Parts: sequence; structure tokens; C-alpha cells
Amino acid sequence: MTFRKILTQHIAEDDCHTLSFYQRNGGYSQAQKSLKEDQPDDLIELVKAANLRGRGGAGFPTGVKWSFVPKSSDKPKYLVVNADESEPGTFKDRVIMEKNPHLLLEGILICCKAVNIQTAYIYIRGEFVFATQRLQQAIDEAYEAGILGNDCLGSGLSIDVTVHRGAGAYICGEETGMLTSLEGDRGQPKLKPPFPAIEGVFGCPTVVNNVETLANLPYILEIGAEAYCAIGPEKSPGPKLFCVSGHVENPGTFELPMGIPLRKLIDEHAGGVWKGRKLKAVIPGGSSAHVLTADECDVAMDIESLTAAGTMLGSAGIIVMDDSTCMVDALVNLMRFYHHESCGQCTPCREGTGWLEKIVHRIAHGDGRMEDLDLVLDVCDRMVGKTICALADAAAFPAQSFVTKFQDDFVAAIQNGGSPAWKKRHPSAVGGTASHG
Amino acid sequence: MAENQTNDGTVAMTSWQLNGQEVENPTGMTIMEAAKEHGIEIPCFCYHPGLSIAGNCRICMVESNRSRKPVISCSEKIADGLEIETESELAVSSRNSVMEFQLINHPLDCPVCDKAGECTLQDHSYEHGPDRSRFVEDKNIRHTKELGPNISIWGNRCIVCTRCIRFCDEISGTSELCIVERGDRSVVDVFPEIPIDNQLAGNTVDICPVGALISHDFKYEARVWNMDRKDSVCGGCSRGCNVEVETLDGFVKRLMPRENLEVNDWWMCDEGRYGWRHLYADDRLSQATRDGTALADDSATAALEQLLSESGPVAFLIDPFLTCEEMHLVQGLAASRPGSSVGGWLPEDGIAANFPSGFKISAAKYPNRAGAEHIFGDQVFGNDATELQKALVSSDFNTVVAFCGGHLSSGPGESWAKALSSTPTSIIFSVKSGPWLEGASLVLPATAPIEKDGTWINEDGRLQRTRSCWNPGTEPFSVELVRLQTLQNALGIRGRSLSAAGIFRELAANNDSFAGHNHSDLGSPGLLLSERPAGIAMDGGSE
Repeated sequence: MTFRKILTQHIAEDDCHTLSFYQRNGGYSQAQKSLKEDQPDDLIELVKAANLRGRGGAGFPTGVKWSFVPKSSDKPKYLVVNADESEPGTFKDRVIMEKNPHLLLEGILICCKAVNIQTAYIYIRGEFVFATQRLQQAIDEAYEAGILGNDCLGSGLSIDVTVHRGAGAYICGEETGMLTSLEGDRGQPKLKPPFPAIEGVFGCPTVVNNVETLANLPYILEIGAEAYCAIGPEKSPGPKLFCVSGHVENPGTFELPMGIPLRKLIDEHAGGVWKGRKLKAVIPGGSSAHVLTADECDVAMDIESLTAAGTMLGSAGIIVMDDSTCMVDALVNLMRFYHHESCGQCTPCREGTGWLEKIVHRIAHGDGRMEDLDLVLDVCDRMVGKTICALADAAAFPAQSFVTKFQDDFVAAIQNGGSPAWKKRHPSAVGGTASHG
Repeated sequence: MAENQTNDGTVAMTSWQLNGQEVENPTGMTIMEAAKEHGIEIPCFCYHPGLSIAGNCRICMVESNRSRKPVISCSEKIADGLEIETESELAVSSRNSVMEFQLINHPLDCPVCDKAGECTLQDHSYEHGPDRSRFVEDKNIRHTKELGPNISIWGNRCIVCTRCIRFCDEISGTSELCIVERGDRSVVDVFPEIPIDNQLAGNTVDICPVGALISHDFKYEARVWNMDRKDSVCGGCSRGCNVEVETLDGFVKRLMPRENLEVNDWWMCDEGRYGWRHLYADDRLSQATRDGTALADDSATAALEQLLSESGPVAFLIDPFLTCEEMHLVQGLAASRPGSSVGGWLPEDGIAANFPSGFKISAAKYPNRAGAEHIFGDQVFGNDATELQKALVSSDFNTVVAFCGGHLSSGPGESWAKALSSTPTSIIFSVKSGPWLEGASLVLPATAPIEKDGTWINEDGRLQRTRSCWNPGTEPFSVELVRLQTLQNALGIRGRSLSAAGIFRELAANNDSFAGHNHSDLGSPGLLLSERPAGIAMDGGSE
């Protein structure tokens, strides 16, 4: 079977984001049928059978997640759509929301039917102003057309969708951090248990799904679980959006079957490494994933294959680095990000992210010591798995993999008085500027 | 029904393994609580038994057979078959890691930090921390500023445990505090223009595990290891919050709440906490006077003996600050002088307060009304007082002995002052000077509540032991407990002087309300006396 794009098929068309375009191309037919005819349990079983894995980064089976929500609860249930796409290197949900917002809304309707939900919030990254506008337009259109609100699509069901803008914090993309922020509190992850399915937003059972995950639902209903499972590898099937950025000729978002070889993705779809240079490193799943060396890039882009390769598919944000890249400078950039974004709640992350940035910064600026390399790894060990959420792990993974896999770059920066870029900017510097003297 | 109550009312137990030993604890306990019952103290910063679980400091991580990662023992509950290691390589390294992280940006300013000596970070650092730092970078700088009239934040010391914030959210219900900034810039702050100024604010300083929140009152006042500590009870209102009075060279420096889950949990109000300053106010009396002339302490006792031995029936005006023991001595004197009469005055009511956590401040700004009513009868502040005042005004008594205690109270009012000055011989024990001393024959300095040794009965009927802030022998004047016994000896109604505990035994032998009790069985939560004497109305009474 040839692969058919279902998320980004029409994004080149001018009016692809409008309701009329969407409906002309068969949009909302699955939701219409499903809202009227399907039983919630059958929908959950269907999604389980399709083995739809969450597209936000963790890859948790969506149907299983839905089944955790208590069937009988006297509290209202909520769907919170995670549209706080802020993992560095990731820009896939933005495409859906800007170009195909009704697909997301249709997915929301199906999810709400499956889990008996009347209220959905879309928590969108604050910087996504255009996406927010497009999404709001689509919601307004849908309300007007009777697709949302009371008696959705003539089904008798009432489903409301509200867009809530974040204020630009990475931590608010973490499931429970997002819920806390949505509740109006400081965006900080919560202790689990209780898990959101039992006690989520406003203390009520909550389904948290990623934009791309929900956007897959109409297609699963259309072609059935079996056909869906036939796309890509059995354990993590389906179409997938891959975001390729960095040193390639043709960066962008590419919809391809799960499991596409990384080399093929870079060379054929993203136009290969730019300027005829050689590949040095690839971060395959958003900046929190372990980096791959050029030699490790013969890997399939699916959850299992990348896990086996010691990294992760994550958010499928692929950052390509050519052989001119100084890995020390690249790591400084990443560490600055995690230091800036750590919420500060848990000690290991609050202190560890700052410490890592300071060490790596010092190495880049010519005040590194050989023992700093072991220190970086030890600090990482002391952060991983010791915090409420995974931000500490996300900061430690790149630090660990950069330092171990590209040790030569770090040793050179230590021995030569700084990274090449630093030395170029400060030709007369002897030693560095860091404080320890 | 509590989580661990079974249908037949027994407590359900959970079997689990702690460091290889099979142990049992009531179901529903956390690992930290349960381990403590087996003598294993797991360190913590953010955990506080009176607050919700934050789980952010991570120092209490232990190894579990149920998790790949270490688990936090403040939040994780025990379960059948759970195996916990607190000393395994993973547990120890996790703990040590957190200690190192806590310290990298923490200033090494213990020598000038008021928390030093009672600092959780110091204690855990000594036990679990590295003996040198691998951190060669610049430390972060965070703000130092006043958060309210009594409290400042020294941001560099803050470990962001959020205890103070949870306190204001959950206990005082005032929510003034928050964390500003993010990551290692995070620090406690108040919202713009809204200082922390609630009635319980001082507790945030107590529960700060480091020296980040500093009480202006105590800043640079004393090193905590140099102070003497006495388990006392606050006399500021009828709640009777359990407190620790801390003194340096005989001077009170600080009051801290002492845990009593039956009365005040872990807290006290600021009115009680900062009230000790009045002990050293200008109007405080420390010197006896006879008709306006200063007397040495011995001569004052002799003068008291002389005035009383010459007197006929005596009017006794008591106050609700006296301990049960002092009242018992007054009762003995009254009994030895036929025709004597006892009444009491009450300070004006203040404002009561109830907090979301259940913590209360009583409107009755004195500690021992209930004790007086047990000893002198339920009309001592009612009819008896009214009659006594009338009798004094019409000069029916030649001699009056009055007690005007309470360093925070405004003292007996105008009508009592008039009654006292109408009596030819007036002997007044007073904590401070005031209009009620006008024309007094003999003025004796009196003890303020936290200077007293004895027992009080709070508004719930709970008998509680309070101890004097002074070490025995260092009192600046003869305290009532001693002076009244010396007097009784001189008058021949007592053979020897006893301690407060000894007097209490006499009281218990003579008064059914106290029968069968003694100081040593009061214990730390005190003792709920079975009931108040019949007919007590807590809201009545004369002024």
C-alpha cells in the first residue's frame, strides 16, 4: 500500500484551514458517524487495536490512557489537548493547528465521545499567535455550523472547546505542569499519583492528549485498526510528522510512515546535509533525546528502534548538525535552555541544570578543566530519575551523550583555551573569563 | 472513617520490609512516618507534618522494590510486600546528591546566620553532605528584602522547600507568599504591595528549614546554642498554646511554639510570640514600694507579713493570670482569716480568630479563668466579684490583697481602682504600674505569665503545666509562689515551703476537680479535666 498523507495532505492549498475546505474533502464525516453511532467502549477498543501511540514524546498507548478514566464518576471529565509545543527542534503540532485545525477538532470530538467528555481545553503555547488565531477561527466556524456546542453534529451530545494560551514556559508542556497552569497556578508539575486520568485538571478525571495524536483519530475510524497498523512498524504504527531542522538543504515538517530510515529522511526528504558538508551528529527526537553520531544514524525512526539505539523518538524533532559544528557550543546552547526552563521545584533539577550550564559554558570559554568532563557526567547521574517530572532527565541526556560521544570536541576546547567560535571572537584571550581563576 | 479503620473498629496493618526486616505499621502511613516508628529517621526539608506534601526537596528518597527510580518517602505509602532500603547504595547516593545540590548555591554564612545551630541544612549537611565542594562557579545571588513588618527573606539561603508558602495557604489561609522567578533563581517573595502581616506569620520563620526567613525580632539577638529553653504555655489567651521560652542570661529572647496536637498543633499567634517585649517595658515593676517608698525584697516580705498579721478579715481580688497553685495559696490565706472574701477581675475581651486549619485565638486574653472557677467557684468573676467590689467601695474591709497580673492586659479597670483605693490597707501584686496602684499601702512586683511556674486550665478545660522562664534562684524578686508561702509560714498556717508540684499535690488532695493528678502525669499534651464545675458561663463575669 502506498503511503497517503493524512495530516498534511492539503497544506499547500490557500484555504486549507477553513471549514468549507475541510468538509469538501470529507472532513467531520467520521465524527458525525461516530458521535451518533459508536459506543464509547468500542471507540476505546478501536484505538487500542490501532495501537495509536501518543505523539507528544512519551509514546504511551492512547487507548490504554483513555481506559484509565473512571467510567462512573460524579465529577465532570475533561480533555486537555497539549498544544504547548516547545521541545527545541519540534514544529509539527503548529503545522496541524495552522493548516488543518478542523482535523484536530474532529479528533477532539471523537475523543470526547470515547471518554464521555463535554469540555475540552486546548492549551497552546503562548508564542503560537498565528496558530491560536487559526484555531480560534476554526472553533468559531465549528460552533456556527453546529459542530461544537450543544447538539454537536446533530448527535445530541454537547461538547465545548476552549483555547487557553500559555505564557511561554517549557515546563507547561509537561502534562501536570500544564494542568497546574491551566488551573491558574504557577506552572509546576504535580506529584503522581494521582494520575491525571483519575485526578487531573480542577481535581477531575482528565485525558491529556497531544495535538498530533488526536489528529490521527479520524483516519483510524476511516480505515480501521488493521489497516492503520499496517502503516509502519507493528508496535508503533501510523503516519508521523517529522520535523527536520539544522544543517540540511530543505528543512521542514515531513509526514511519512513511522519507521522511515533516518538517513532516508535526511538525504531524500530534507535534501541532505547542506553545503555539501558531512554529517556530524543528529538529535533524533527533540533536544532532550540522546544525540546520535553520524555512524549511529542508520536507524529507523520509530519508538522501538530509537529506544534500542539508546535514544528516543520523543517529539520527532530532528536536529541535524554538520561537521563544522562545535559540540561544546551546541551543548552550551542546550544547557542554557534547560537552566532557563527548569521550574525550580525539585532540588536536583533546580541546581543541576544551572551547574551544568556553568560548567559547559566555562569549558566553551576557555576555563575548562579535564576533570570537568567527569563532573558533568556525575552531575547528570545525580539528576536522572530523581525529580517529579522528566525535565532533569531531559537536561541530563544531551549533556551525557554530547560529552561521551563527542569527547574530542570537549577535550580540544579545554586544551586550546575555548571552543573554536569563542577563540575566533576573542583572538587575544589567554585562558578564559570564568570566575574560578 | 480513617483509611486504616476496619469495619470492626480495629486498625488495619500493612506488612512491609524495611532494610531487610519484616515490619508492620497501620495501613495508609507513608514510608517516612512508618520508618520513624521503627527508629529510622529519614531526613527531610520540605516535609512538615502540619502541611501538605510537596515532594520537592527530594532528600527523603529511598530505594523501593516497586520502582526503578528512588521514591520519596514523604509521599509514598507503605504497601503489603513493599521492600524499602534506606541505606542501599542508591538510597545513600540519592540523598548525598540532593545534599550536594542544596549546598552548591547556598552561602557559607552560618557564622552570621540566625538559624545556625537549629538549621536542618546544617544538620543534614553534617550527616549526609560532602566535606568539600566540587562547585567552582559563582554562586547565584537572590534578593534580600523585607516581606512584612516582622519578617525578611534572605534569598541566597532559600532552598525553595515552599513550607512557608504552604503555611500561608493552608494554615493561616492568607496566601501572601509565593515563589517568584524560575529554576535556580526561584525565591520566596510577597505579591507587590501586599506584605506578609497575618496573625500567624511568625510561624513561617520557625518552619523555614534554613535561615532564609528571618524574624526581625530575633535577628542577631542570640546564638541559639547559648540560650536556655523552658517548656512553657503562652498566657496571652485562653487557648494556652504550648511554647518554648528561650532566654539568654535570664532575658527572654524568643518564644517558639511547641507541638501539642490537642491545643495548638505546631503553631502560635504573633500576639503571643512577640508579646514578651512587654516584659521589659518601662512600666514593668520590679521593685516593691511601701507608701511610695522603695523597699528591698526581704523588707517587702516582712511588710506583707506585718500587714497581714495585724489584719482582720481580708478581701482577696484575684486575676485569671494566677496559676492554680498560686490560687490555692490565696485560698489558704482566705480560709485562715475568717470573714475573708474572694472575687476576681477579668481583662476586657479581645478579638477571637479562627483559621482554616482549625487553629484558634481566643477572645479571652488570659490563661486561667477555668482554674479560678474550679478553685473559688463559678461565681468568682461573677456575683462574688460584684459583691466584693461593693463591699470594698463601702469600706467593709480594712485590708485588701489584689493581684494585677498580665503584662499584655490593661489591668483592672477604673471601678476596681476606686474600690482598691477606698480600702485603708491595700496590698497589690502588680506586673506593671497603673492607676490601680494609686494610694496603695504596699506594692509588690508580680510575675508575668511566662515567669510563672505551675498549671493553668485553658478554655477547653485542659490542665497544662507551664514553667518559668527563669532558672530557680535567678528570679529578680520573690515570686508569688514563694512570697505567699513565706507569708503562710509566718502566719503559722504552713510549716514549710514547697515547689509548685508540691503545692499542686495539696490542691489535688483538697479539690475534687484536681483529685488524683500531679504535675508529672500531665504529660506534654496536658490533661483534659473531666468537666468544668457546673454552671460556668464562659462569657459572663464582671470586668
